[in-house]
Amino acid sequence: MSPVVARIIDGKAIAAQIREDVAARVKALDARGIRPGLAAVLVGDHEASKIYVGAKQKACAEAGIHSERVDLPADVTESRVLDIIDRLNEDPHISGIIVQLPVPDHISEFTVQGAISPAKDVDGLNPANVGSLARGRPAFFPATPYGIVELLVRSGIEIPGSDVVIVGRGDLVGMPLAIMLAQRSDRANATVTLCHTRTKDLAAHTRRADILVAATGIARMITADMVKPGVTVIDVGINREPDGLVGDVDFGPVSEVAGAITPVPGGVGPMTVAMLLENTLEAAERGAGAA
Amino acid sequence: MTARIIDGTQIAAQIRAEVTDRVVALTDEGVQPGLAAVVVGDDKPSHIYVGAKRKACADAGIYSEKVELPAFVTEAELLAAIRRLNRDPQIHGIIVQLPLPGHLSELATQRAIDPGKDVDGLHPTNVGLMVRGDPSFPPATPYGIVEMLLRSGVEIDGAEVVVVGYGPLVGAPLSILLAQDHVRGRATVTICHVHTRDLAAQTRRADILVAAAGVPRMITADMVRPGATVVDVGVHRISDRLVGDVDFASVQEVAGAITPVPGGVGPMTVAMLLVNTVTAAEGSVFRS
Repeated sequence: MSPVVARIIDGKAIAAQIREDVAARVKALDARGIRPGLAAVLVGDHEASKIYVGAKQKACAEAGIHSERVDLPADVTESRVLDIIDRLNEDPHISGIIVQLPVPDHISEFTVQGAISPAKDVDGLNPANVGSLARGRPAFFPATPYGIVELLVRSGIEIPGSDVVIVGRGDLVGMPLAIMLAQRSDRANATVTLCHTRTKDLAAHTRRADILVAATGIARMITADMVKPGVTVIDVGINREPDGLVGDVDFGPVSEVAGAITPVPGGVGPMTVAMLLENTLEAAERGAGAA
Repeated sequence: MTARIIDGTQIAAQIRAEVTDRVVALTDEGVQPGLAAVVVGDDKPSHIYVGAKRKACADAGIYSEKVELPAFVTEAELLAAIRRLNRDPQIHGIIVQLPLPGHLSELATQRAIDPGKDVDGLHPTNVGLMVRGDPSFPPATPYGIVEMLLRSGVEIDGAEVVVVGYGPLVGAPLSILLAQDHVRGRATVTICHVHTRDLAAQTRRADILVAAAGVPRMITADMVRPGATVVDVGVHRISDRLVGDVDFASVQEVAGAITPVPGGVGPMTVAMLLVNTVTAAEGSVFRS
């Protein structure tokens, strides 16, 4: 008997669809003389950060979105970073601002994110925006959780009423995703369980899940015995191993049990970039910077 | 076997005594903490709640004011009154008693409060800082529930918590608070609501079950695991008696510990409001 293999949720294809849609809307804005612009602030010489920002800028260019990268030395003062964000807040050509994480220890992530104008906070990480998210009324959905919801919705996975188990309570993915999926909305209304390192019997939870989200940062920690047959598995992890990029899910064996699964790479990653473009366009459409 | 009663009135009294000590220390520095409560309209329970909060302030040595606005006040007038209090150096904490009349936005009102004076902890910035793991003022009711559990010796770290109800004042912020990597958190939290398919299957898993659904007596004995700790956030007036979201009489035969209504979560909310107010005043002394 040959094993049943899960449907692959192709993040690249879905992201491409979203980016095409963004490109079309950018053209429509262009006809009104408005061009969306994204500014990425990069502090220090973090190699991975440069690669991520590069990928975001390339995606902007393909969608017709203007982008700028502001490179700052690792020893830049926090007040200098805040000055620069202030100027970007005022710049009419910039509709969205992101600060690529991580920033050096002498700079407060919260202070810097809090300085971004809520109208231009396209990463959705300004604490005030996160708080509004918890109230169901954010200016922007944080890019990665937003991308995950889009992946599910566009793949025809039913979210309302489902049992969602999220492994990992990080403030960039696990926590905001839990908040979003429990909310009263046709794209949510899920029963959400948030698991983490202190969870007593993790496998008992993951085996209950209709939708299982792995966002722990531990390579291949979700194994086949931890998933229910037919479950939808979303893998947020990106771990560099000798044999390439792997996720938090042990893909091969889990894909023989799951009903649907996102690959790494080519699953959640491309969606994060696509939703950043979507948010930047949305900011421009609302008039941020274009006034 | 009958459950141990978690006496919110008594724990709150303890906390209020601690607040009183901190108020004395501040007053020695020449600063008396001050709370302003804004009440819109004639909603009778609102006036009763604010009266109880002001009495608790007086008992702890905290100065308080009640700003009464008519039910037909415009949002602009309400926001102007809040901004006035934001600038008032005698006022360290500001609360707007909910609910507001339908033409006023609760979120806009909460957003107008200076986050440094937001002692109800409902300003989006404060909620956002809590999500990010760095709360300045945890919202009073969730904060009170967590304090009550800790002071009753109920282990939160690693516990299975099931929260029924995902409202913006209790269910949502409590779920966030309890899941955080913090002495007040580290629980595995499940959020349930009206769309949950098999609610009893979830509630029966709970080491700590929190009922914040707003439905009288909806949590019945068959939904509770023997020995569970049950926290009842509901307050309903039914034929002149206050009842909670938990069917107390039957559930107390199954649970290991339970909060009564009244005398459970309610008094804690008031106590934590005082804690946040004195914390805000200490912050203002520290800053100057």
